[in-house]
Amino acid sequence: MSKKEGAGGLIAEIMRTMTARSSSGWVAGLLTMAFLILGAGFYFDLWGHPLRDPLIPLVDTNFISTATARMSAADLVRTGGDTSGLDCYTCHEKNKVLKLKFDAQGNVVVPKEHDDIVMAHGRHNRNNNCYNCHDETNLELLQTRDGRHLKIVESPALCGSCHGPTYRDWEAGVHGRTSGYWKRELGPIERKVCTSCHNPHSPPFPSRQPAPQPHLLHPAGNSSPS
Amino acid sequence: MPDLNPSDDPVSEGTSRRKFLRTSAVLASGVAALTASLAPLRELADYTSVERFMQKHYKEMTPAQMQKVLDRIAREVEQQYGVRPKVKDYKPMDGAEFRYCLNLTRCIGCRKCVHACVAENNQSRNPEIQYIRVLKMPHGSLDMEKAEHYYSPAAVPEKGFFYMPVQCQQCENPPCVKVCPVKATWQEPDGITVIDYDWCIGCRYCEAACPYFARRFNWTKPSIPKDRLNPDMSYLGNRPRRQGVMEKCHFCIQRTRQGRYPACLEVCPAGARKFGNVLDPESEVSYILKNKRVFIQLKEELGTSPRFFYYFDV
Repeated sequence: MSKKEGAGGLIAEIMRTMTARSSSGWVAGLLTMAFLILGAGFYFDLWGHPLRDPLIPLVDTNFISTATARMSAADLVRTGGDTSGLDCYTCHEKNKVLKLKFDAQGNVVVPKEHDDIVMAHGRHNRNNNCYNCHDETNLELLQTRDGRHLKIVESPALCGSCHGPTYRDWEAGVHGRTSGYWKRELGPIERKVCTSCHNPHSPPFPSRQPAPQPHLLHPAGNSSPS
Repeated sequence: MPDLNPSDDPVSEGTSRRKFLRTSAVLASGVAALTASLAPLRELADYTSVERFMQKHYKEMTPAQMQKVLDRIAREVEQQYGVRPKVKDYKPMDGAEFRYCLNLTRCIGCRKCVHACVAENNQSRNPEIQYIRVLKMPHGSLDMEKAEHYYSPAAVPEKGFFYMPVQCQQCENPPCVKVCPVKATWQEPDGITVIDYDWCIGCRYCEAACPYFARRFNWTKPSIPKDRLNPDMSYLGNRPRRQGVMEKCHFCIQRTRQGRYPACLEVCPAGARKFGNVLDPESEVSYILKNKRVFIQLKEELGTSPRFFYYFDV
């Protein structure tokens, strides 16, 4: 092959070679097609629908919120929320001691004005007496068993008067939620109080919906793992 | 045998129109296949750049060189996500060695820590990369074979089960560091085992060596929605990773080296997670290790000596 024929000569040569062994051209062509189809298999399924990784929805931002389980009275006052529920004497009369009513089993009967309160503090009904914690002479105060009187927002000392070991842990920062700085020189630590997580009338920590489970990269048979 | 000299026979067997078209079609499809097979090379720029290729090892970089690298990372992140990040390299504090304590009595298995971690540390959302696995196990045993991590009931905790979140244990004797062939992962003086994502070659030896399933590999390019990107980044911590590198929990290095608590701790609604400096006798972790029924370092028989402790309330 002379130089001036260049690429044209090369193609002619290939064509001639292929024609000479007529089947090899077809074989090369078929193989190329087969590989292209196999390659397409990475992008499309048998019915021509594009293959995509399963779309994983973004997680609800509630699951990354650092809010506590509930709002304590102290938080409510601090954030300027609706504190009308803490103002006992808009409804109650001052200097009048309220008599508690009990049913046949000795459980305190919660009046319908306070039907949002579920009395479930501990296993014994003697724990579920309003005046264990509330001061019967001044409803806006709390009272401990040893006779101290505390404001509503000072509730940790009240809880601590019975729950000593837990209170000790809480004071050490070990029981309950913290946020902020572990290194106190660099910034403040933000403490939560007992009632930021526990409802004082029904203290067990409430159950909640869990955040989504991990998604598999390629779920078997399109079914999500459960 | 065909005549190889076309000048001898000007109308040789090869030159009919049909044969020409057939051969051209074969050649064209061959070229197309070759182009398609080389297509991944077009994304090469996403994998590396001359600057990154010439970059020195983290421990050998001068502060000026580090600043150049941080600027490059900020530029790359802005190019990819359209958000100008604040990228820094936080150094360990003097007199600080971290411990993590997790209260198994308190954990309710809500998985909030998993997702707060993803949000803080810019992990890939699709496919999902998560540093924390929460294991659900029946009461009365600590048998990993009975652990379930895909649980999804309407409400947790479920009766008869306890929940055990597992993440990087920041071992004092880390097997992952020993197996790394390129020294892309090492232990820092404050106890955090870190990864230099620019030095990692993606061999996944560390993933195989870790007994805690703590390390994750970026099989594909991580995808993070722009509005979920955390712009406070650190070199060894939460800057976006590339395809083909390892990543894992680093105790939120960008937070904890500034004195803050990790993200998983702050989001825990039950207060089950405690973190601090064990060299400070007043810290929460010192109190727990002294006073609580600290019952395991996970798989302590392996001798990895984790800096992550599980304990119970007594």
